[in-house]
Amino acid sequence: MPSRTSLALALAIMAVSGWGVFSALDWPWKAKLFPLVIGIPLFCLAAAEALWAIFSKQDAAAAADFKLSEGLERDVVLRRTALAAGWIIAFFVLIVLVGFPIAVPLLVFVYLKVQGRESWLFSVIFTAVVWALFYGLFDLLLHLHFPDGWLLSWSSGG
Amino acid sequence: MLEALLEGLLLVLQWKPFAFMLAGIGIGFWVGLLPGIGGATTLALMLPFIYNMQPVEAFAFLLGMHSVVATTGDVTSILFGVPGEATTAAIILDGHAMAKKGEAGRALGAALASSLVGALIGAAALALAIPIVRPLVLTFGSPELFMLAIVGLAFIASLSAQGARGMVRGFLAGGLGLFLAMVGQDPQAGIARFTLDTLYLWQGLDLVPVLVGLFAIPEIIDLVVRGTSIAGDAPVGRVSRGALEGVKDVFRHFWLTIRCSLIGTFIGITPGLGGAVAQWMAYGHATQSARTPEERKGFGQGDVRGVIGPGAACNSKEGGALIPTIAFGVPGSTSMAILRGGFFLLGLVPGPDMLTKHLPLTFSLVWTIVLANVITVAACFLLLNRLTALTAVQGHLLVPVILVLVFIGSYTSNSSYADIVVTIVFGAVGYFMVVAGWPRAPLVLGLVLGKIAENYLYISVARYDAGWLTRPVVLVLLAIAVGVILYPAIQAWRARRRHA
Repeated sequence: MPSRTSLALALAIMAVSGWGVFSALDWPWKAKLFPLVIGIPLFCLAAAEALWAIFSKQDAAAAADFKLSEGLERDVVLRRTALAAGWIIAFFVLIVLVGFPIAVPLLVFVYLKVQGRESWLFSVIFTAVVWALFYGLFDLLLHLHFPDGWLLSWSSGG
Repeated sequence: MLEALLEGLLLVLQWKPFAFMLAGIGIGFWVGLLPGIGGATTLALMLPFIYNMQPVEAFAFLLGMHSVVATTGDVTSILFGVPGEATTAAIILDGHAMAKKGEAGRALGAALASSLVGALIGAAALALAIPIVRPLVLTFGSPELFMLAIVGLAFIASLSAQGARGMVRGFLAGGLGLFLAMVGQDPQAGIARFTLDTLYLWQGLDLVPVLVGLFAIPEIIDLVVRGTSIAGDAPVGRVSRGALEGVKDVFRHFWLTIRCSLIGTFIGITPGLGGAVAQWMAYGHATQSARTPEERKGFGQGDVRGVIGPGAACNSKEGGALIPTIAFGVPGSTSMAILRGGFFLLGLVPGPDMLTKHLPLTFSLVWTIVLANVITVAACFLLLNRLTALTAVQGHLLVPVILVLVFIGSYTSNSSYADIVVTIVFGAVGYFMVVAGWPRAPLVLGLVLGKIAENYLYISVARYDAGWLTRPVVLVLLAIAVGVILYPAIQAWRARRRHA
């Protein structure tokens, strides 16, 4: 799995850097100096990593970085990862459609009920606290402007 | 000089400046805890409030606020794996790993103690260095500053992964960061590069949405996958004892703390490199302190040295960054550029006057950094139990709250939905990098350094052609970069010889 992901990342970087170098060729030298200085070695390094991923039998040692949790079945990991990605995308869509002031309490409440299986009372109280903090901190105190979502703007004819 | 030093302290301890400093600390404390809302932005928002203040009150307020942001930013980074500030991302790698092992108290203790030591060293550097720093800064032209950026990248790329292939991955990530930094309008010719025909990308990729996505999204996904609290089944333990252990760790690795503080101070002094660079350079240096490849494997999995290094550098850079701002009027970072605006609002001109006529005021800045950090660290230690208890809260309660903070933090960078798209895209990139075992630190450093490096490279080539490569300091820095790249290989060879 890490090697296949590594191969995919290397191929993606090859594509991006190749496109970058190709695009830069038409620019004046002031604008293309850095893209060429960085893009060409980047393409070569990505090609080396891709070849390594294809032909090497053992994977490289993991980086000094955060590691995902281990010990769960692969199917469970895949299902829960897709679920997490789904929540993230859903929250974004919600923000775009109805704006932060409605999306925030809606996400918190639905997440607690559906994912956390919390009681109605707890979910309502927890959501109210989060919403009060959101409103008090970002709106009243910091005066940050959050626009209405597309749906609300459209329905109010704005 | 000593008289001015004492006078500076007495100025800050007057009730009005002290009250303004406490107000600043209060704001900075919460700004640091909240992901995405940066210290520089808050500094800019607070500038209009200083019109009616005396200079000493205004600087106590602004600097008191700014100098504690990084300290409380570390708390968010360690507990939730979400960078509280762009300048506190490096501490996540080991700090959050410790929190997940039930060692949040120890990580926080180490971070707070190293932050305090770093801040004190930065303030001492500010007090001592003003007369001697001028010639040092002036010897660094564009070629040297470009090479300094390369050294920084070589540090982090070669040390964040093991073996030849690991190093290739490190440089790939760093190169990708440099490449992404080119997105936007080219500063020399005005060409729109890699903007995908969108107006949003003309100004380039904003650091905050990228950082938040790269670091927070993989953590959120992992929290959902595990279905437990951040600390999981690991016992959180007695926090106060853990925190004390963390403080002791700082003194066990005292020279590392000092060295990383000096790295932070130096990066702070160097105009244009910025605070986000200091933490990664210090992390790279902390990784280098591992004596064997096995020891180095512990980094990223909860080695306390990975907390101490960035913690110290992050706070020492503030004192360093003030040196060129006060002495030459050359801001060392975005925040310092805003602070320089504060000088003008108050009718002060940074430069020689600040070292002669206004010397007590200059020293009051030093004391503000010291006092603000001491007060903040003490407040954090008092709140430690409550803060650490958050790692034992069930994941399904934390995920929606963290997600809300992540998206708001990202959105407030430019007040654009595109910021959130950038966060999600880089969340995916970060997740796949973690799955593949690629280091994310070089990518961030590349992104931070990209624009600066390009600018310096362009000026170097335009001004000196290829001659810039033969300048003595450039050659020394080149040798350091090569040494840094070869160091892990030499270390592995020596270890093999020892075993044979």
